[in-house]
Amino acid sequence: MQFNKILVPVSGTQAGEEAVKLACQLARKSKGKILAAYVITVKRSLPLDAEIESESKKAEGILDRVERIAEEEDCEIETDLLQARDTAPAIVDEAVEREVDLILIGITYKRRFGQFSLGNIIPYVLKNAPCRVILYHQYAP
Amino acid sequence: MQSNWRPKPGDVTLRPRRIKRFRLRRVLGVPALFSAGYGNVGSSIYYALGIVALVALGATPIVLGIAGILFIFTALTYAEGTAMLPEAGGSASFARHGFNDAIGFTAGWALMLSYIVTISISAFTIPPYLGYFWAPFKESLFVSTAASIGIVIFLMTINVIGIKETSFINVGAAIVDITTQVSLVVIGFIVLFNPVVVFHRIVDNWPTVDNLVLGIALASIAYTGIETMSQMAEETKQPEKKVPQALIMMIVTVLVIFAGISLVSLSAMTPQELASDWARDPVAGIAASIPIALIRDVLKPLIALLAGTILLIATNAGLIGISRLAFSLGSHKLVPAALSRVHPRFKTPYISIILFSLVAIIILFPAFFTTAAFEKMGTLYAFGSLLAFAFSHASILSLRVRKPELARPFKLGWNIKIKGRELPISAVLGLIATSTIWIIILITQPYSRWVGIIWMVTGWIIYYLYRRKEHLPLTHIPRKPGEVRQ
Repeated sequence: MQFNKILVPVSGTQAGEEAVKLACQLARKSKGKILAAYVITVKRSLPLDAEIESESKKAEGILDRVERIAEEEDCEIETDLLQARDTAPAIVDEAVEREVDLILIGITYKRRFGQFSLGNIIPYVLKNAPCRVILYHQYAP
Repeated sequence: MQSNWRPKPGDVTLRPRRIKRFRLRRVLGVPALFSAGYGNVGSSIYYALGIVALVALGATPIVLGIAGILFIFTALTYAEGTAMLPEAGGSASFARHGFNDAIGFTAGWALMLSYIVTISISAFTIPPYLGYFWAPFKESLFVSTAASIGIVIFLMTINVIGIKETSFINVGAAIVDITTQVSLVVIGFIVLFNPVVVFHRIVDNWPTVDNLVLGIALASIAYTGIETMSQMAEETKQPEKKVPQALIMMIVTVLVIFAGISLVSLSAMTPQELASDWARDPVAGIAASIPIALIRDVLKPLIALLAGTILLIATNAGLIGISRLAFSLGSHKLVPAALSRVHPRFKTPYISIILFSLVAIIILFPAFFTTAAFEKMGTLYAFGSLLAFAFSHASILSLRVRKPELARPFKLGWNIKIKGRELPISAVLGLIATSTIWIIILITQPYSRWVGIIWMVTGWIIYYLYRRKEHLPLTHIPRKPGEVRQ
């Protein structure tokens, strides 16, 4: 199985960074490239193009770090900063527009009401993704 | 990798910035856009019918029809403007491009007034509908006004905190809204509609010419929310195609449903009943007049609940709309930066949300003392919205003259040619009609005149002081060397 374009949504978590490393390994085999995207969610009380400096700075920092990881892994990477109302549709839309072969998402162990939860983003992406999806679950002892 | 590597003097690492700081993910299509627009415009019938009946009496359906024609003109103008300039700001944005910053600010400030009054009116009409569940909400002016203020404070709080709202709410609200209204029209036409009775009620209760004109002005309130679609253009995929499509869909739906409801209402009750007992909850009045007990007993609580919910969403939409507009004006340096300030934790424009909610509450205060406050809120809304609409028409005409080369993916037809420039007849008629009615409101309505003038003058003073403080000319921002601006 070859993956020429892999989309890795990142949010600054360790699982996300590990997912980038894994994506690099997968991409290297097929001489493919990685697209790392950070989505800034903009509240509806602001225009979508509102520039929220603190968020942009945080996002730039995370994307810079992801670029360094890819550089260390000797992997071609393209980073993108997106502004959207919702993270999940933005990820799916990005995958459609960039015609990626795979979405690789790093997830952390989350609990909601005492139960393990995937949150809202993962189920939406799994349901609507136009390509294969791999979930990288961070080991939580 | 060498671990002892150090940069040599003179080594420079260039980390080119991402070509664009961020890209906007536009995910809305025609259904989502239509839902958001109809959620706003469609909700206004829950109060517009009563407010129009207060002055237009029997001529209410006629007046709504005439205002409907103005609505078509305005919607067409917005379709051309939004397709040409798909950015948040609506009429303020058109005016800024069509004229200059000062006119853009004036249009935006007038639009802000109409947004604020929309918040007040929508909040003011929720309690009467909920009166089915607890009578004081409808019967006591004090209780209903206090509840309205409570609603504004509640919405202000959740908007400052920034509770996540999905587009599902808009879509759901629009479906519920249309289903409720269509059911009411169908049931009303089957069990209530009597053309002879409607004809007599229209003819026997024909208003004076002054009231007829005032009625047309007030009827513009029925079309509140036309701005919403324009504001959402920047979130829409292919806005140049989809915004006009959604606008045209909305025009047709709104005109058909509003015509049906207004005719059914005059079959259900006399204009006097509509203008008194049911002024603030006219749709509940229709449900209460249905002669079949079973349908009436089901519809009454259903309408109370649905209208209350839809109006709550509309009030919230007004608050969201005004904060977005304030931010958009702020990003073009038309209002002080404080209005665009984003809360460090909640990431919401908290200052504008709190400030405009407080103004909406102040506008609600007279309602503690007099029932006439409702009509006054209506005329104040007309003052702001008609002024903004007039600026939209004027800006579209100005852009046709000054920037004929701009790409117009949706170009209005039926043009008159003057000195080689094509001017759309609908925009010319829209400009004449909206400005004439605005002048009539200014002359005949002292409350709107003085409150509206105070609002506008306050705005101009803020604008003047702000631009002076920033060392910016009043009419335009000078370009920096090499800067390309649309």
